[in-house]
Amino acid sequence: MLRPLLLLALCSVSPLVLAAPSHALALPQLADDAYWQSLGHYERGKLGGWRSYVDDEDFFLADDGAHDPAAELTATLSALYGPSSLGDRHAQCVYPARTRWLREQLGLTDLPAIECSEFKTWYSEVAPHSTVLVFPAAYLNSPSSMFGHTLLRVDQANIDSQGSPLLSSALNFGAYIEGMDNSILYAWKGLMGGYPGLFSLLPYREKIGEYSRLENRDLWEYRLNLTPAETGRMLEHVWELKQIRFDYFFFDENCSYRLLELLEVARPGLKLTEQFPLTAIPSDTVRAVIDAGLVESIDYRPSRERELLTRTASLEGEELYWVRQLAAAPQSLEDKDYLAVPAERRALIQDGAYRLVRYRATGEERDSANAAHSYRLLQAINRNPPPRLDVERPTLPEYGHESRTLQFGIGSRGDRAFAEYGLRMAYHDLLDNLEGFPLGAQIEIAQLQLRQYEGSHWKLQRLDLAGIRSLTPLTSLLRPWSWQVAAGLERLPEGDSDDRLVGHVNGGGGLSWPFSEDLLGFAMVTARLEHNRGFSAVLSPALGFNSGLLWRNAVGNLLLEARGDYFHNGEVRRRISLGQQFELREDAGLRLSLDRSFSHRADSETEFQLQLRWYYY
Amino acid sequence: MKRILLASLLLTASASAFATAPGGPGCGWGNMLFEGQRGLPSHLVASITNGTSGNATFGMTSGTNGCATDGALRYNGKSMLVLGSIMTELSEDMAMGEGEALTTYAVVLGIKPEDRAHFASVTREHFDTIFSSAEVTAEQVHAATLAVLKQDARLARYAEQA
Repeated sequence: MLRPLLLLALCSVSPLVLAAPSHALALPQLADDAYWQSLGHYERGKLGGWRSYVDDEDFFLADDGAHDPAAELTATLSALYGPSSLGDRHAQCVYPARTRWLREQLGLTDLPAIECSEFKTWYSEVAPHSTVLVFPAAYLNSPSSMFGHTLLRVDQANIDSQGSPLLSSALNFGAYIEGMDNSILYAWKGLMGGYPGLFSLLPYREKIGEYSRLENRDLWEYRLNLTPAETGRMLEHVWELKQIRFDYFFFDENCSYRLLELLEVARPGLKLTEQFPLTAIPSDTVRAVIDAGLVESIDYRPSRERELLTRTASLEGEELYWVRQLAAAPQSLEDKDYLAVPAERRALIQDGAYRLVRYRATGEERDSANAAHSYRLLQAINRNPPPRLDVERPTLPEYGHESRTLQFGIGSRGDRAFAEYGLRMAYHDLLDNLEGFPLGAQIEIAQLQLRQYEGSHWKLQRLDLAGIRSLTPLTSLLRPWSWQVAAGLERLPEGDSDDRLVGHVNGGGGLSWPFSEDLLGFAMVTARLEHNRGFSAVLSPALGFNSGLLWRNAVGNLLLEARGDYFHNGEVRRRISLGQQFELREDAGLRLSLDRSFSHRADSETEFQLQLRWYYY
Repeated sequence: MKRILLASLLLTASASAFATAPGGPGCGWGNMLFEGQRGLPSHLVASITNGTSGNATFGMTSGTNGCATDGALRYNGKSMLVLGSIMTELSEDMAMGEGEALTTYAVVLGIKPEDRAHFASVTREHFDTIFSSAEVTAEQVHAATLAVLKQDARLARYAEQA
């Protein structure tokens, strides 16, 4: 292994030796430099040696560049002296960040002068000056968005006086989807690394439209204290990554990890990526950036839905009626009864109606009737403008608990005592410490719970693949669905104080009602498919219900719920459970749960558990 | 090809009727008010893939996203193509007399910070002229704005420099 490498290194060094003999000595040290490793996206391989995260031959100059930083360095250095006739394909133009760094490190004063007009045009158009880390917050009705995403905004000079974020660029790393697979396949391939990841640079205004309008996610904008030189250096490297493919994995080699790498290129010496060896959940990476002292200030950009709800929050009975009327038919603007409403209230009503009409048109093709309707409302707004809409900032998302959870519980089931040990890789359930999360959203990925009953009797209690719940309350104007899905293994009582591990997939849909700001009721119809060795069929289907109350109280969240599953084979299973979380500290909670299950096949049993939950990364 | 189709489906609106518009189709110059924006098929997909939406575009107005850089679309060195993509927001801001899209347009027009409040109040007052119907295109809005500016003693100079 070593010999061919050495040979290769020697071969590629030889032309260089002729061109610039004085550098040869410094090269091995340079190849070990952390900055060179950042530029090549190298990481230490699990069995020693190196591997680059870049999965694209075009990125490397040396044949084994993906595994050999030293060979890549040598090949780069030699290419920098290539003939100037290469023009925009010259290494100096393709690798401006490598060029700058090597020039500085080796004092290369004799490099051929290359014009690089393509790069220069691009660079001057982007005009990088400062950098903002953008974090789209979670949207309640899409719990998968709780994982979040991060992107960078690259601003031009004088953003506050002479510019606007709408003129800035967004630097995004995401899976590159070719063609039209169906949705589930998209999601699966995204999770499993079936798509290559690419950087893209596009107008930030498009990203705003995507998040605040299409996905109803608030945007948090963390202004970083990168200097213009640091931002420029980062963009030079971004140019090197143009159309370059990385592996894309949702959990680790994702957008957030890649952006941390870019920040390390911007400011040499930053150590961000090494904190995330296994998973890089965006909110965790935001915290890492804050902890590294990179954040200067934080701006908040509410979603269109939040603006609509804020605008209409102060409206009452009859006023909301008018919002709905105006949103249904613009002729109502001339209605006598409507005109009898005081002008300053009408200003709010019209604005609310306009926002509602636009909200409903989200994601739809343009339709001229709807456009005419919107336009009439806008004219009314123009004649009687409402006061500026100030949306109160919610809690910063990075104040939410960290993504992984360790659980330790003691309890009893019937007359047997047990201890329970659990690990959840991510992220948040309906009872977990709420700060920084929306009430009524849950996403759990990979959760394992083991039980030790008296006499050191160990049992696998549950293994969840995923559990997502979204309780989005009805409002006077919006009627969202609430839904849930879950899949995994769980242990169920099975008569004679025995129990059995079953596999299941289940889901449900229904509605949630806000009884007050802190109290939510929900009711759903559910369906379940179960693999249970106690049943004769391999898969047994069931229909059922799930309803309950979620209450945010002074000490934490309380959830009272009832579930029923009515199997096709006649089995009926019902369960009532009550849980109360006591939020002890930012990173810990105590959970009390009481659970009673009823089944045709087993005696009713009551389970009690007191569980300590520790959130960490 | 598939990629291009998808990109134009997802990222731009139905500007195909304006194939001869400057900058080429999909650049937004022919975009109408209240043009829709389409995204990935579901929230789940969007949040898992973080949607490059099948388009690894790497430029602002030139290069890979298919817009021709036409000198006629530049005003004060800034690309007017911006307008096509913020039309709806601009109409809202102009109706109310303030907002980020309005500021952006002022920046593109080269209006100095000290004149921006005046710009906002003039355009608010002439909202019906600038956005004369629900069917206006970015190009028409821009022309109408310049016409309004020319009528205003303080703002006329911004309409004349090109």
